[in-house]
Amino acid sequence: MSFARFLTKRLLQGAFVVWGVVTIVFGLRVIAPGDPANVLLPPDVDPEVRRQVVADLGLDEPLHVQYWEFISGIPVGDLGTSLTTGTEVTARVARSIPATLELAVAATVVAVIIAIPLGVVSATNRHEAPDYGATLFSLAGISTPNFWLGVMLIIILSVQLNWFPTSQRAIGLPAVLTFLFSGELEAAGAGFVTWLWYITLPAITLGTYFTALITRLTRSGMLDELGKTYVRASRAKGLPESLVRYRHVLRNTLIPIITVVGLQLGTLIGGAVITEFVFDWPGLGQVLINSINSRDWPMVQGSLIVISVGFVVVNIVVDTLYSYVNPRVGFDG
Amino acid sequence: MSRESPGERDVTPNAGRDSTRERDASPRAHRDTGHERDRLRVENLTTRFFTEEGQVNAVESVSFDVREDEILGIVGESGSGKSVTALSAIDLIESPGRVTDGEVWLREPDLAEEFRERTPDAVDGDFVDLRRLPKGVRRSLRGPKFSMIFQDPMSSFNPSLTVGEQIAEAVEVQRRASANPRSTRSRTQGYGLGKLIVDTLVPGREYTSDASRERAIELLEQVGIPDPVERADEYPHQFSGGMLQRAMVAQALAGEPDVLFADEPTTALDVTIQAQILDLLRDIQRDRGMSVVLITHDLGVIARMCDRVGVMYAGEVVERGSLADVFEQPTHPYTQGLLGSIPDVEDPAPRLQPIEGNVPNLVDSEMPDRCYFADRCPKAMEACLERPAERPVDGDPDHTARCVLADGEYDPATALPDDYFEEDPEATDAPAEGGAADD
Repeated sequence: MSFARFLTKRLLQGAFVVWGVVTIVFGLRVIAPGDPANVLLPPDVDPEVRRQVVADLGLDEPLHVQYWEFISGIPVGDLGTSLTTGTEVTARVARSIPATLELAVAATVVAVIIAIPLGVVSATNRHEAPDYGATLFSLAGISTPNFWLGVMLIIILSVQLNWFPTSQRAIGLPAVLTFLFSGELEAAGAGFVTWLWYITLPAITLGTYFTALITRLTRSGMLDELGKTYVRASRAKGLPESLVRYRHVLRNTLIPIITVVGLQLGTLIGGAVITEFVFDWPGLGQVLINSINSRDWPMVQGSLIVISVGFVVVNIVVDTLYSYVNPRVGFDG
Repeated sequence: MSRESPGERDVTPNAGRDSTRERDASPRAHRDTGHERDRLRVENLTTRFFTEEGQVNAVESVSFDVREDEILGIVGESGSGKSVTALSAIDLIESPGRVTDGEVWLREPDLAEEFRERTPDAVDGDFVDLRRLPKGVRRSLRGPKFSMIFQDPMSSFNPSLTVGEQIAEAVEVQRRASANPRSTRSRTQGYGLGKLIVDTLVPGREYTSDASRERAIELLEQVGIPDPVERADEYPHQFSGGMLQRAMVAQALAGEPDVLFADEPTTALDVTIQAQILDLLRDIQRDRGMSVVLITHDLGVIARMCDRVGVMYAGEVVERGSLADVFEQPTHPYTQGLLGSIPDVEDPAPRLQPIEGNVPNLVDSEMPDRCYFADRCPKAMEACLERPAERPVDGDPDHTARCVLADGEYDPATALPDDYFEEDPEATDAPAEGGAADD
């Protein structure tokens, strides 16, 4: 199958998934308790005013009309206005996307940089001290809840040792890039260091579980590959051990791991909520939690849609990459 | 089937063989000078696997020699230790297995010179004992001295690299080794992790060079793969089994090895393809004057291909000698049994004579201190309750058997009764365990 057909097929599938998510999100609003009008109005408001507000929000229309109103705005980027602040949902959500993406990518980078070498060391020193160390680390990493880890890192590294800021995001990567492209290299450098300084703890917090997971996957995958006949054949033809291990075994081990990393990146985009909350990180998770608390339905819908689109896009990218690195799959999948 | 019939059925393949032999008036003609033509001498090689179920004696004091320009067959049932013997000889045994004893002497005058002063134990004339050489030196011999092909070509290639690339890689290793001999013996061969990462990530940088890739295509052509240029860029799953086994042979030839171990090279293939691969192996062996160690369970393949044969049973070589010696005058009752268990098209005897019983499982604690075959042997005698040594058959040092019958006669008077091993195996095994623990 050609690449164009593969991509078209995956994009159509993705659009279908997003439509499903949108419909469920709409349904949730309909069945969830709490009338949006109550959020906007004081309890003792004049019934006439109340009716007027409900009409303005379009909530007196039949459901299918409301559904059409809602869904027809999405392709043109109209997700409605916030009930609490009156701002455009699209603009508010778009503003928080970079923070979430930065955090998710940083957590993934931390995880991959630590986990893959650790998994390799573990697999190539099976049943020896480094293997036990790595196994212990990954067990601890998988079983540590990240709200606890985040708070502990703040207490020890920020409050006690004062190495890192306790919370927030002083500068975003887009701002750093703006400096860079306008030629203000010094400002860009300083901005990047600040960015790194602020993102380190949230990235570690978010990435620890993921690091542990990838370590285990790398270890078991590599042990699996090392037992295959082609490894013996590679040694028989005289390849040095470094080539056997990295060019053949690790490469093949990483093929399935790419899928996991990709899926996990999607999860991180939506699942950074707790970490963002602990570190007061101004991302999608923050927006989502705040708008749920204030029954700001358009905002909830908007953030959920953006998260699901992100997930779908990441998946398509991962599948494309997977077909590229694994010749057996091709673009037939 | 009579005792002579295995010899008779052997006549046909041998006749065909002799006629081809006459064409190349090779030095094979004078077999007696064989010892001078030794390329590899394996002595008392012993390999154990230390598993959770206990120690498994996969290879038990195996000796054989591989001469220049010959095909040596190793035949035996599955589980008799054939493959492990080959892997032990070229130092490819992996944990939990370990070669625990024995010597692997390779004729390699340069190495012998190099190590004569440093480690005199490891040198004997022009021969070096691989087991006493440093690990890096042993590794550097795989490729230019030894190579190996395996049973299932599909699993013996890395599924995610093209076939051409994998062959080119084997060429490249040797090219780099001759360009920079000093780093050849290091663990990374001067090709460290950093370089590896850069070469993988930076487009246009590859481990293999264009010259190696061209050589890979030449090799593919030499093993009879049509359209080698196109096929080199294909992945293993795009090849048929037979074509892939040809590619495997090409890969094994990349380092121009002196000795090629072929471990059941045709077992996974269709019958029609089997013959093609065997012809290919023999042609290549002749053209290059290589030595081939052909491991198979198929006596027909042995008869068709080999100059000399070793028969393995329960981790031991029970009989070895020239093809004619072993097939026409089999001495060990196991060899006789093997030859008697092949169906014969020309003489469809009403029934075959299978060997009764099963191959022992080789777990150390269950191995008796007697001839391992005695419990299945139709000629077991009291003398068989001791471990037999390998001895020449009728005084011929080139035909040996691990059997008292090699230099003795069957004596019905001391024959063990049929149910001897059934009644109480523990009693006869008891002293064996003490003996085995001392090893």
